[in-house]
Amino acid sequence: MPGSVRCKAVAWGGDVAGTPVALPPGMTGKLLQVFGVLFVLALVGGSIAGFGVLKDRVKVVVGPDAAATGPDPIAELKDDVNVLAGDLTTLQQALGSNFEQLAAGIDERAGARHAELMGLQRDLAAVQKQLASLGQENAALRQQLAQLGKQLEALPAGGGMQVASAPGGAAALPAEPPPQPQPQATPAAVEPPPPTAPAEVADAPKKPDAAKPKGNFLFGGARFRCDEPHDYEIVPELSRVAFDAKSTLHDFTGVTQNVRGTFRIDFDDPQGAWTGSVRCDATTLKTGVDGRDSNMWEYLDTKNHPAIEFTLEKFEPAKDGVDVARQTAKGEVVGTMRIRGKQKSVRMPVQLEIDAQKRLIVKGEMPLSLPDYDVPVPSQLGVINMEKDVKVWISLRARVKAGGGK
Amino acid sequence: MAMVGACSLAAGCFGGTHIKPEERDIDVPMLDLAFQPAGAIVLDGLYESVDIQGDMALSWRKVYYLFSPNGSYTAAALGDGDAGPAFTTLTGTWKCEARGLSLDDAEPLPLEQAPGHLRLSAAGGSLVLAQRKLP
Repeated sequence: MPGSVRCKAVAWGGDVAGTPVALPPGMTGKLLQVFGVLFVLALVGGSIAGFGVLKDRVKVVVGPDAAATGPDPIAELKDDVNVLAGDLTTLQQALGSNFEQLAAGIDERAGARHAELMGLQRDLAAVQKQLASLGQENAALRQQLAQLGKQLEALPAGGGMQVASAPGGAAALPAEPPPQPQPQATPAAVEPPPPTAPAEVADAPKKPDAAKPKGNFLFGGARFRCDEPHDYEIVPELSRVAFDAKSTLHDFTGVTQNVRGTFRIDFDDPQGAWTGSVRCDATTLKTGVDGRDSNMWEYLDTKNHPAIEFTLEKFEPAKDGVDVARQTAKGEVVGTMRIRGKQKSVRMPVQLEIDAQKRLIVKGEMPLSLPDYDVPVPSQLGVINMEKDVKVWISLRARVKAGGGK
Repeated sequence: MAMVGACSLAAGCFGGTHIKPEERDIDVPMLDLAFQPAGAIVLDGLYESVDIQGDMALSWRKVYYLFSPNGSYTAAALGDGDAGPAFTTLTGTWKCEARGLSLDDAEPLPLEQAPGHLRLSAAGGSLVLAQRKLP
């Protein structure tokens, strides 16, 4: 039936069965309106309630859309990287050119320094030459002074000059004080040497200033000049004569230090009369193997010819081979070698120098053929053979003999 | 005999070689000492020369000094003479100053010292002395 509503009313505590109720005309519309209003109110109320509940839990942020408005970060990064790469390249180029300039500067300075150094070396060499010549002049002046001193001392005594010199003679300092009072001398305690003749002293200009005693052995004494003739005597303890030989099996050296000899040498007159001799005891030659040594002595016939001798006849200097300032010389010694009683003319290239102790050092070597001296060449069973050619070498030191240079 | 000779030659095969050119010289022992200026030291005892350089080496083969702390010394030097080697003796006074060693009131000579050694320098060369015990 229109306008009627079947409703079911449920009361508290009971149940009322629903019965159809007839509504007056227009009531339905009003009811619908009421229900609609109630629905809207409920909706609004529910929204408000929900808002109240959720307002503290929900945060709404309203911002601009960045993707749509800002630049691309990756592109920016790429730009930055490119800029950095460009800076790095520029820096690298700048550094490279700076290093090149630095290297060029260093080379230039090194070249300049080298030139300076060469100049200094030349100056030094010139100064050394001057010093050497001054030293020689000084020595000559000292000798003249010494002679003048002797002449002066001779005047008061009327010519009977006593030259006080030690028993050692030429190169020794006097131990006895001279007639003139010398405050530093102690006559009572000094050993009186025998007087030497004035003429003897005058003949040996290189003898020390014997007129006045000195307080020590460092003053006075002989002055060495290699550009004057000197007699040298070999010091065996510092000398060797040897030969190098070869055989089928191996090489070996025979050496001896039993060497004696003297030389007369003048560096200032290399083509002058250089004389001397060297003698070594062949029975003392050793190769390190006893059996081989005894064979060697047998071949050298040391029973009849115990010595090997070299006699110096002259010296032929090499071109620019003599340096008086440096006290060195090189060239060839020419002389006679005597082995096993057989004599032969030989030439030996040598180097000479004066060491700090004023000793003469002589080094040289030369080939030598054993058959030239009738020395049999060892050969055993035709299998073990020694070569007929050997190399003879010398390493000698000789000290100046007293009284040399006359 | 031939066998003996062959054996002797063969025996040399166990180690045979030439002396090298750089080893031909007899080594002259070099003093490896660090010298310092001695200053005004007191010298006492026997000293023997171990190295003589310069022109002095022409005159002297060996030099001995015996210093006494009281300022006196006695010395002997072996030199070469016409009759052969001979000793020369000296006595006198010594004084050590900052400038060096003055012997018999002469001009001081530069004096240096190293452990157990003295070195005197002069225009004629230098003299290195090693201290020795009196026998």
